[in-house]
Amino acid sequence: MPSVPLHIAPSTTTNTSAATSTNALPPLLHTPTGLALLEIQGTINFPISTLASETSTLVGKLVFPLYNPAINGEDDTKWMKRVYFYVGRNQRMTGEVKKLGMPFAVVGRKGWRGDEGRGGGVDVEMGGVEGGDREEGRGDEDELEIVEVVRYKVVFSARPEPVGGGEDGQGD
Amino acid sequence: MATQQDAGGVPVAIAHDLRQLRLLELPSGVLELLEAPNPPPLSIKSLPPAPAASLNATPAYAVLCTPTKSFQLRQVQTSNSLYVTQPTLEAHGNTIPAPTTRAIAACAATLELHPADGDGVSYLEAVLPVYDLVDGEVDAEENRKTKPAIFSDIPLSDGECETAWNSLAAFEAAGSTYRPTAKTLAQVWASVNAASLAEGVKLDTQFLTEDLAKLVAEEGYPAPLAASLLQHLSSTSHDRSGEWACLDQEKTLSFVGKTLLEAKRGNGDYLTADFMDTWRDSLPEAWRKGAELKAIDGAYELPSSTTIRAKSKAGTAKAEIVVPKTAARKWHDKFAKTRKK
Repeated sequence: MPSVPLHIAPSTTTNTSAATSTNALPPLLHTPTGLALLEIQGTINFPISTLASETSTLVGKLVFPLYNPAINGEDDTKWMKRVYFYVGRNQRMTGEVKKLGMPFAVVGRKGWRGDEGRGGGVDVEMGGVEGGDREEGRGDEDELEIVEVVRYKVVFSARPEPVGGGEDGQGD
Repeated sequence: MATQQDAGGVPVAIAHDLRQLRLLELPSGVLELLEAPNPPPLSIKSLPPAPAASLNATPAYAVLCTPTKSFQLRQVQTSNSLYVTQPTLEAHGNTIPAPTTRAIAACAATLELHPADGDGVSYLEAVLPVYDLVDGEVDAEENRKTKPAIFSDIPLSDGECETAWNSLAAFEAAGSTYRPTAKTLAQVWASVNAASLAEGVKLDTQFLTEDLAKLVAEEGYPAPLAASLLQHLSSTSHDRSGEWACLDQEKTLSFVGKTLLEAKRGNGDYLTADFMDTWRDSLPEAWRKGAELKAIDGAYELPSSTTIRAKSKAGTAKAEIVVPKTAARKWHDKFAKTRKK
């Protein structure tokens, strides 16, 4: 079968409240499913936790120092010019939010999302759900789905700079 | 909405089990389709690797098809880490679950879409067996492939395939698909013309395709071929669903002229006067005065003042040969040349 249908996920047009409530990024970066793009020139090295309960590793945090809709209004776009990404304790990368010349469609196998990722449930339980999800994904392997259309990305193209100790209160 | 940057930013986590997601660059035409209230069905087609290699030297590639357009997919590698992130509520260590941006997929390559201007006709010519009639005997190889099966192997959208199918007057009969030769088309056309005369069907008004096709089938030609020919000659403004046909006079005129010339290809030169007579005789009476050489402009050559022939295909054939040559990766040849110098 050389032809594979490419579905368009219904959620790309309707905003799901679950994604919005946990989305801490500025609203400009919000997409209906909450997916966003983060580009780093380089790789993030991190130790993988040996704890079976951990499904992800916390590597750092994103700070939008100029983002302040309370003062500058919601339409202000100057904040896009500066984003900090603190990696670990001592490194900071400076980047910006860029509008993509051509938006990206995020394409995955149909059904890849399953029920996973909607709020952090009990970790063990989540592992179980993920396993089931993967099996399901194998079933309709041939069907692809456009999960989301992303128009902005956060890009870090500069070298990381060393920063001292504290991570808090650097933004202002 | 609680934005977190004041309280020290948005935590970023990387999932251990990264998913398989691909990023597809959307040119404006495709983006508009996706944003439409009822997005049309899209599909990704690829050439089956084995037959593609034997038919021509182009490597197997994938295309994204909208109903009427097709785009070639090109993979672009990036050295940057490009993560797709998703908001989650996560707890790490003993902290309270906090809104976190979690990288769920890393994309080492993105996919670009380039409009594919593939020539549907040449694809179809490569896969469809020729249907020829020699002295009333069918000379054709069955391929046991239906029209949808053929289309699914062509890296173009269904709309483009259909246009190419129509321009070849290709047809499906008894589970196999064929493209008729000019000779066959000339014979079928003669039969259509005779049938329309006998039945008093005006070809340039709407008539039931099936009625004429049936009459043509009585003369031993496949009915689907007659139907396909009638669709090919129908005016474009006309509904092409197939039940009704209404021939476009200009199109038919030039088609008949070209087909007659083409049918004589390789049989030596054709006296222009003879050709003009045959051409006029092959047309419904009312259309005959339209049979002038300018109606088939560009399709003929006049090797002498009294003869005519179909324009040689040398130009197009050459172009076809050049393409695989440039596509081939003959690096060793290139380097060999520089070495000798």
